[in-house]
Amino acid sequence: MPASGRSPGLETALENIGMIELYHISKQYQEGQWALMDINLHIKRGEFWFVTGPSGSGKTTLLKIIFREILPTRGQIVIDGINILRLPDHKIWKLRRSMGIVFQDFRLLFHKKVFDNVAIGLYVMGIPVKEIRRRVFNALRLVNLHQKMWEYPSHLSYGEQQRVAIARAVVNEPQILLADEPTGNLDPELAFEIIGVFKEINRQGTTVLICSHDKELIRHFGDKILFLFKGKIIGKEVQPFSRK
Amino acid sequence: MNNLWQYRVRNLLSATIIALSFLIVGVFFSLSNNLQFLASRLAENMVVAFFLNPGISAREQARVEEVIKASPGVAHVKFVSREEALARFQKSFPELEDILKNLGSNPFPASYEAVLQKKAFLSEEALGLIEDIKALPGVEDVQFNRDWVKKMQSLSRLARAIGFFLGGILILASFFIISNVIRLNVFARKNEIEILRLVGATNTFIRLPFLLEGLSLGVLGSALSLALLSILIKLFPLYLGQSLGVLQEFINFRYLSLSQCISLIIGSALMGLLGSLSSLSRFLKI
Repeated sequence: MPASGRSPGLETALENIGMIELYHISKQYQEGQWALMDINLHIKRGEFWFVTGPSGSGKTTLLKIIFREILPTRGQIVIDGINILRLPDHKIWKLRRSMGIVFQDFRLLFHKKVFDNVAIGLYVMGIPVKEIRRRVFNALRLVNLHQKMWEYPSHLSYGEQQRVAIARAVVNEPQILLADEPTGNLDPELAFEIIGVFKEINRQGTTVLICSHDKELIRHFGDKILFLFKGKIIGKEVQPFSRK
Repeated sequence: MNNLWQYRVRNLLSATIIALSFLIVGVFFSLSNNLQFLASRLAENMVVAFFLNPGISAREQARVEEVIKASPGVAHVKFVSREEALARFQKSFPELEDILKNLGSNPFPASYEAVLQKKAFLSEEALGLIEDIKALPGVEDVQFNRDWVKKMQSLSRLARAIGFFLGGILILASFFIISNVIRLNVFARKNEIEILRLVGATNTFIRLPFLLEGLSLGVLGSALSLALLSILIKLFPLYLGQSLGVLQEFINFRYLSLSQCISLIIGSALMGLLGSLSSLSRFLKI
């Protein structure tokens, strides 16, 4: 029996269930300008995907639609079996709690310590303080920042701030981890280290979707890649097994 | 509380403005209370004095006494002789002894003092009876402080009305102050709100601190105004002490009643809550 306690048959069935399913998704911001056009994508539970393409290809729009920051103009999107477009506004929090999101600009609170920045997602869930301490410590250990737990983000380097943002995204053990250019301004060595962290999180069962235009990184780590150009899918590359 | 402390200067300033607004309301309500109290003190002393003509005959005097005693609403009647009236004056105003000496004779007339029942005091019927007694032979004049009581009561009503009017305007102003402070706080914490939304905070979780802030500002403002009013009421008699003279004993400055204090605090808390809500509904789209 697997660690989850489910039967092997059920495990296999669950693995084949789509975690993120996009059906004919299109997004138009202004008349005549389509940010996304007829996107169909089926990401299974526990997969590790890269979405790549030049600036303006629609990568960020795609992510925003997945975490329901914006609504698509057309199409349907199903997350873990739930059509999120039918989710009323006052219930979006349920969807967001199943996701971890890492932004290119980190979006850290600079007046709060690293601990509080990471714990914010747990505070909103009403988790007991003792449990929060344990989870925050583990998340920070995962990104190798547990020794800087009581420092302010402004005292950390760029790469460390990025890792705090990752720790915040994974601390509530989300089913899906979304990252928008998480290695945007990092040197190659640090970028590899960060993606290594994402891979580690993925190994623990989290479905990961990373938007990046870093070809070197994608060549090295990408086993499932979606290529976007001017809002359209121009290619998919799917390796049967994970590379790293 | 953390949020209140984080923007303490802004919050303290707005609480002070709210306090001053409520203080003005409180002053008028307190004034009204004091006038009302004064009126009731005067009403307690419901004596009608019927001054007799010095040349009144014994028969006339007996008739006057009989009519007064028979009048409905009269609790009891006391005869004050000329000597007794003089003695009372000497006791109350010893500094005016010289004037009396210069006069040479007792200038005070004898009188009947009728103590009225409280109900009868302000009735029109009593007024009619007094007019009838005044018309009796041997009665020279009537002293009756009913007009004072009525004046006090209307002044009290006026103060209360001004309190309500100014209060309405100032409470509305406080509402906008709180609404704007909350709006500034929402803008100042825009990033935090954004992150809270992304990590799955419910609308209530995001709104609650702002609602509590508005509520606290309202309560803080009204509590501060009650404290200031209490200081004012303690200082006012000290300031006026010398000029009040004999009245100082009579005028005892009164604070707001407990129910008024509670109403003020609940009202301002409610206003703070509504101010926050109005700001959140306009500026915090979740």
